[in-house]
Amino acid sequence: MSAEDSNPAATPTPCEDIQGDGRWMSMHNRFVSDSKDKEPDVVFVGDSLIQLLHQFGIWRQLFSPLHALNFGVGGDATQHVLWRLSNGELDNISPKVVVLWVGTNNHGHTPEQICGGILAIVQVIKNKIPHAHTLVLGLLPRGKMPNPLRDRNAKVNKLVQEAVSSLAHASFLDVDPGFVHSNGSISHQDMYDYLHLTPQGYQAVCEPLHAHLKSLLEKPTEN
Amino acid sequence: MSGDELNPAAVAQPVEDVQGDGRWISQHTRFVQECKDAEPDVLFVGDSMVQLMQQYEIWRELFSPLHALNFGIGGDTTCNVLWRLQNGELENIRPKVVVLWVGTNNHEHTAEQVAGGILAIAQLLTSRLPRAKIVVLGLLPRGERPNSLREKNTAVNGLLRSWLPRLGQAQFLDVSGEFVHSDGTISPQHMFDFLHLTATGYRTVAKPLSDLLLQILEETPEERRASLV
Ligand SMILES: [Ca+2]
Repeated sequence: MSAEDSNPAATPTPCEDIQGDGRWMSMHNRFVSDSKDKEPDVVFVGDSLIQLLHQFGIWRQLFSPLHALNFGVGGDATQHVLWRLSNGELDNISPKVVVLWVGTNNHGHTPEQICGGILAIVQVIKNKIPHAHTLVLGLLPRGKMPNPLRDRNAKVNKLVQEAVSSLAHASFLDVDPGFVHSNGSISHQDMYDYLHLTPQGYQAVCEPLHAHLKSLLEKPTEN
Repeated sequence: MSGDELNPAAVAQPVEDVQGDGRWISQHTRFVQECKDAEPDVLFVGDSMVQLMQQYEIWRELFSPLHALNFGIGGDTTCNVLWRLQNGELENIRPKVVVLWVGTNNHEHTAEQVAGGILAIAQLLTSRLPRAKIVVLGLLPRGERPNSLREKNTAVNGLLRSWLPRLGQAQFLDVSGEFVHSDGTISPQHMFDFLHLTATGYRTVAKPLSDLLLQILEETPEERRASLV
């Protein structure tokens, strides 16, 4: 595994507290302590796209009833999520499904590295909770008009989808309902800053996601 | 304040597109376009604290009915807001009130510099919109526990409280005292990441702000005022 060892996206890394208010570690500690008195069936893990989902009505409407916890931290890249999951966030819980949505913040990493980071997270989840199924959500397009990060995210999706197809304990779900219009633009009605979702954007992503989660939860465990 | 040109927080600067998807300038361009299509009575300008407010119910409930536009961009500093306002976001509009909320992202600047940057934006607004009132919102505390950024934001608020009255049109609204518990902690029920507000946190800010805006708009001698109250 020497190739993976040299992949910064697959190397567990805590977020450095450059700003000086310790918020990242506060959130991680809160997730660890939250997990001690909860018995979630579903855990959402990832970056701001996971985190903000928790703030809107759709979370209470669709996901709270599934007994879901939200471990999203804004700005996180794969190496940060890898560190969090390796350092306590999965130690006291035994969810049936882990929803993983991360990678769009991996600036400076290649699609191959980002895919490697996502697969490393899938492996940590497998090691910590052997019976859990990991649902990897596809990265969304970003930016108002076509740009290199859209191409990068599409490439990551292709690589991840191929890689998890051979894994019994993981699957890939493309949750893009078609955010890119025929002229190549993304609307601020769906992504208010051309990255983060509006309540309307979340609605379009979450209804199929919710249906998919229900079917995963009803299936008998794979082993 | 003299010597604004020496204050790095009072220098207009666009955000460099380091990530490569052009999102910042896309948002600015959209705001400039919105100025051509809308006639806002209230203009909100600032960083993510302003921007995120528009995503919650409270915006439609309390601020949309006042004919408000939201020009918030996540991560913006005083420099970035200054640049946006100098480059089209005040063209073609004549709001009666501007709500300004920015400064917590000025990580490279001292409290004096941040307050000076906010004052520079207020001065720009005063000169470009001589009849508008300006409501400057105090910076909120941040971080789960006491830390140096909380102290800095408190110092910025103290400076604004003494400087802003010199601008006749500006008022300072400080609700920062509402968020820190007696044990010094901030609750994730109010700030989900110990910086950004939850729907509950926004209610704490929005009620006194909405009251103040209604009061200012009522005092504004304008023919459209009847439709606002
Ligand atoms: Ca599979």
